[in-house]
Amino acid sequence: MTASPISHTLRPLAVLALLGIAAFPIYWMVVTSMTPSSELFAERPNLLPSLGQISIYGEVFRTIPVARWLWNSFVVAAGTTVFSILLAILPAYALSRFRFTGIAILGFALFATQMLPEAMLVVPLYSIFGKLSLLNSLFGLILANTAFVVPVITWIIKGAIDGIPLEVEEAARMDGCSRIDIVLAIVLPLIAPTLAAAAVISFFHGWNEYVFAQTLISSEQLRTASVGLASFVGELSTPIHAVMAVGVMYTLPAVIFYLFAQRYVVAGMTAGSVKG
Amino acid sequence: MADLRPSEVRLEGNSWTPYLFAAPVAIYLILFQFYPLAQEFYLSFTSTDLLRPDDNPFVGLDNYAFLFEAGDLHNVLWITAIYTVCCVVFAVGFGLLAALLLDAPFIGRGVARALVTIPWAAPSVAVALVFTWMFNAQYGIFNHGLRALSLPFGAENWLDNPLLALPAILFTTVWQIFPFSSVVILAALQGVPHELREAAAIDGADRFNIFKIAVWPTIQPTVFMLVLFVTIWSLRRFDLIWLMTQGGPIGATNTMVIELYRQGFVYRDLGSAAAIGMIGLTVALVVTVIYFKVTLAAERAQGKR
Repeated sequence: MTASPISHTLRPLAVLALLGIAAFPIYWMVVTSMTPSSELFAERPNLLPSLGQISIYGEVFRTIPVARWLWNSFVVAAGTTVFSILLAILPAYALSRFRFTGIAILGFALFATQMLPEAMLVVPLYSIFGKLSLLNSLFGLILANTAFVVPVITWIIKGAIDGIPLEVEEAARMDGCSRIDIVLAIVLPLIAPTLAAAAVISFFHGWNEYVFAQTLISSEQLRTASVGLASFVGELSTPIHAVMAVGVMYTLPAVIFYLFAQRYVVAGMTAGSVKG
Repeated sequence: MADLRPSEVRLEGNSWTPYLFAAPVAIYLILFQFYPLAQEFYLSFTSTDLLRPDDNPFVGLDNYAFLFEAGDLHNVLWITAIYTVCCVVFAVGFGLLAALLLDAPFIGRGVARALVTIPWAAPSVAVALVFTWMFNAQYGIFNHGLRALSLPFGAENWLDNPLLALPAILFTTVWQIFPFSSVVILAALQGVPHELREAAAIDGADRFNIFKIAVWPTIQPTVFMLVLFVTIWSLRRFDLIWLMTQGGPIGATNTMVIELYRQGFVYRDLGSAAAIGMIGLTVALVVTVIYFKVTLAAERAQGKR
């Protein structure tokens, strides 16, 4: 590309503006959490966090059950990840490698799940879960989340398997390995980066999910962080900087983890979803 | 996603293998997605109270008739359409610009590519909370900023003003989802043939024409796919809108999913809620069918050339 002098100065500015827009709200959450109550409603906003206010985090930890909420979110996210990956591998392989009657139905069914709003399915799911005694249990929440994650990661894993040359599998077939053996011993190691990406995507879905956690769980003990944080909406007794501190504790681990993992996610995801 | 690439592998031996492989996920999705969907379909023809969900007398098309006549459906469909179209245009458009910006080599590109994905990693509930605070009329940073520029604004009640609430919600949504478009388009840009770009540059093509000749044809299928996904995801987005405005003020941000939730959980009318769900699903299906018709036609036109 021909680089004009203008683009030499404009591009860095544009990149900085872009990153500023992307990061500012998270930064603002941190700043607000570390602003003394008296200054939150001042004429001029504090643009920098007051480091002396870091004690708010200890205070919030003592007065609000944040630790429990975060732990519950972690359990839900981890469970969703394990279940989704286990369920997605074999259908992904079947979609990639076999031609069978009903493959189009399976493909469409996976796609169609993306159209179903959680807010709609939550009513029938509530009654089904009631009959299966899955209400008010993190395990039930994991099952509900998995239903929404599996279709997405099945497609991503299928895309990665598409990229493996068939010859790799043929030698093993000659030796008389079963399909399951081939998937476990040959295919899975080759798509490890995509599995990592799928794991991150599933984990994030479980960590962030709100509607099911709000509806299918009623026990305070089993609240996830999303529901805990949402409970502050419209509630006026908790000061805004304390609310933001909870928000930071919920958001920052996810964002930092993602910054380290994003390289794999991007590589693994683009192996699948981008082939139009 | 449309291509189910027919596999070269022929089945040998047990022809049940693909079904065995697909069975667990099929059963799972039937149990947790399609059976509940069928129940919703049935509920939409009944009059059912949230508090007595097992008592559901059949009322035929009454719920649908009620929605079309007495209800707020026209407004809801209109808001949903504006919301969805704006999400697609701005999230995909801004994502494309960001991707082009981050595609060229510069120092710190890796870090910049990572940082730009932050909004996508942030949980919706936290995003809703911090943006509500940022949009606060008196103490929000947006109004502080407007006042600092000594513009004649700065007291806007963003989320309580029927004219401003939808733009504010859109701003928040686009902020959260544009990184996804950007990342996906960035990956597609890696497939742009280098020679083509150089040839166009040597022929004296300017920036825009290089984009038109070399870049766009490569990334076009990806961008089209993104349009479809952002559309159907926007049709069902709930968390952000519900937590920021609950569909208000006076219905200004009342999209279909929000109306569904209100009918079900505020007015306790599960039948009407289900009917809205069915209407929404029909809209999503129609959009999908149109999408595939259009992309197929485009592919044919390209093939003939």
